[in-house]
Amino acid sequence: MRSGGFKRLNQFLMAAAIKKDQSQCRQMLLFNQQTPYNYFTSAPAAQTVSETHQLSHNLIKIMEQKLSAIETRHAYLMSIVNQPDVLSENYTNANKELKKLRDSIDLINQLRAIHKDIDGLKLMIAESQDDRDMQEMASQDLGQASKEERRLQYLLLKSLLPKDDADERDCILEVRAGTGGQEASLFAMEVFKMYEKYSLKKGWRFEVMDLAESDLKGYKEASAAISGAGVFGKLKFESGIHRVQRVPVTEKSGRIHTSAVSVVILPQADQVDVQLRNEDLKIDTYRSGGSGGQHANTTNSAVRITHLPSGLTVAIQDERSQHQNKYKALKLLCSKLYEMERIRAHTSRSKLRARQIGSGDRSERIRTYNFPQGRVSDHRVGITSHSVDGVLQAENLDIFIDALLLQQEMDAITSFSSSD
Amino acid sequence: MKLCTLTRTISSIIQPALSFRPNPGRPISFAAVSPTPQTPLYLRPAVFHDSLTELKKWHKWAKGLASSVGSAFLELDNGPDSTLLHRELDWLIQDAFQHRSDLNPDESLDDAGVVSLRVSLDDLYELWKQRIEGRRPFQYVVGCEHWRDLILSVEEGVLIPRPETEIIVDLVEEAVKESRELGSGLWADLGTGSGALAIGIVRLLEDSGRVVATDLSDIAVAVASYNVQRYGLQDRVAVRRGSWYESLQGDEGKLAGLVSNPPYIPSADIDGLQAEVCNHEPRLALDGGGDGMSDLLHLSSGAAMMLKPGGFFAFETNGDTQSEFLQDYMDTEMKGSFCRLKIVSDFTGIKRFLTGYRAR
Repeated sequence: MRSGGFKRLNQFLMAAAIKKDQSQCRQMLLFNQQTPYNYFTSAPAAQTVSETHQLSHNLIKIMEQKLSAIETRHAYLMSIVNQPDVLSENYTNANKELKKLRDSIDLINQLRAIHKDIDGLKLMIAESQDDRDMQEMASQDLGQASKEERRLQYLLLKSLLPKDDADERDCILEVRAGTGGQEASLFAMEVFKMYEKYSLKKGWRFEVMDLAESDLKGYKEASAAISGAGVFGKLKFESGIHRVQRVPVTEKSGRIHTSAVSVVILPQADQVDVQLRNEDLKIDTYRSGGSGGQHANTTNSAVRITHLPSGLTVAIQDERSQHQNKYKALKLLCSKLYEMERIRAHTSRSKLRARQIGSGDRSERIRTYNFPQGRVSDHRVGITSHSVDGVLQAENLDIFIDALLLQQEMDAITSFSSSD
Repeated sequence: MKLCTLTRTISSIIQPALSFRPNPGRPISFAAVSPTPQTPLYLRPAVFHDSLTELKKWHKWAKGLASSVGSAFLELDNGPDSTLLHRELDWLIQDAFQHRSDLNPDESLDDAGVVSLRVSLDDLYELWKQRIEGRRPFQYVVGCEHWRDLILSVEEGVLIPRPETEIIVDLVEEAVKESRELGSGLWADLGTGSGALAIGIVRLLEDSGRVVATDLSDIAVAVASYNVQRYGLQDRVAVRRGSWYESLQGDEGKLAGLVSNPPYIPSADIDGLQAEVCNHEPRLALDGGGDGMSDLLHLSSGAAMMLKPGGFFAFETNGDTQSEFLQDYMDTEMKGSFCRLKIVSDFTGIKRFLTGYRAR
């Protein structure tokens, strides 16, 4: 059915990844566009891939070094924890780190065990040259054991790749109409609804936070909170400028216009995440012009919060109570602060470039939607979908997202191999 | 002629025709001979139906009416401008329609489609006319007010909870966090109106914490009871009719906390306020006497007797002069009774609240 084609595709992709031949990868993805599929990021795929292919020697050598380092660290921590007269603070800290390493150590132990099995089987094969049956059985077992070895190596590789902790978080989506006036606002609304439909498909919760409508019922600005498992990790590459080329509804002469819409995806964070202090906030509310309080009856409970240390300002106005406006504004502010810190920390600490973790130049043109030619192109992975409506109805969005996730993983492997 | 009086004449002509009783749809559960609270729009069953064509006609008319106001009310008496009114119209639709999206241009419902409503089409016209021509407060029109994370039923005769008053709940939260013992005691919300503060603070208390909410007005008692029941808090919040401390006889020296948003507007100032307030909201809840301070002073004098040692209080005032005067009064005239007196500002920088503790 599908699996044959996919096996082949996956083999090719894995090989390409190892050879770091990205352009070939893209070709294959283009060829197989109609079916979105998670190539590296789900266990079933890993089974298919590792069954048939082996990680390069170089990669394995580097991995071995890192695994030994983990084993050494683990042993050291265990020795601390097992000391009879250990200080409680040292004990707690050691235990915390041990917890983090537990999964990796499990895999490593399994890997060591498999290596022993393999050695044993190889020996058996060598020593049973004249026993056909024995050799055959041992060979079969060796085949199974090798498969298992590759599976474990692959899982360990994944665990060693630099990760973005923010991937697990919920996100906040901001869509803004850029150049193009009314047409841009109309397109902003279509883009906003595209993500709403995508969230629905994925079973995520989509909660509109703020909407500023234009005269023609488009959106000048719109924001939403999207909640679900791993939402930020999937949507983070949507940040950037989305360009549309088409004849606007307002256009009488039938000329094609180009407009732009900016999309920003922020990881949701709370006050604890960003260590927000009340002293750092200046909160402004609508002042009725009089003395307020009992003097006034107003339904305007807009709230603007300024974070003094960073100068970031956030304003929310569409909730029906001031408390709710303030709550949403704080949520948005925390997300923005968290994102600022995340980019800063990642680019200084990790080898992954800002672009690779989806926090690149917000003004980077990432996708073009060309209506007359009936195609949507993503400029980062060089992939084109031939159904504009399919993308806007969120049916074909996965093609881009999966490709971007794949590229992220490949980049991670590359930087992993080149690190010491 | 004062504009307030003029619009009051107009609205007194319009109003009687417009007070309607909805389908109840809500069980009457208290035995007292109190007025029956009206059900907020958003809680009424959607038993009215009309064609999308008619509703679109209404929507167009309503939008036109809102736009025609411009900044006239704003300039007149600090009333709402068209932007605000358009937003209120959206909220009216949210509360009155079963599916607010029925009016969206890209919805697949065709013009012959049927729209389900919680009020009749005629009432929709009346309600919006009341809002724009009568300056009837939006919250009375939809029968509810969103306040903090609550939706409170409100109607004529009950003061509409103000956004500033939301802060008192935060002040109580701080006090209870600092001293858990306060959280398990008896609190009082004096002049509870819709029950906003009582409901807001009871959820901050320990399971054993209780609140007594009092008000002089029958309607307020009925509406506050209704709101308390809607939130399932009748076991922890008791609503009593009475004047200030009268309903708390026997609790002298026992109260863990006192909160109040008493009337604090000087009598002479009321007619100069925006029409929504002076023509429609209850004077009883607004009029604080000559200098606006008579109720605040009464509350302050009684607080020393009612609070237990270490008990907390928070009062809302009309701003700078009142809160400072009160603080001074409590420091000097009632020397030794209170400690840690603090003035807290609201988000516009007005020194609106006075808080403090009963000295031990």
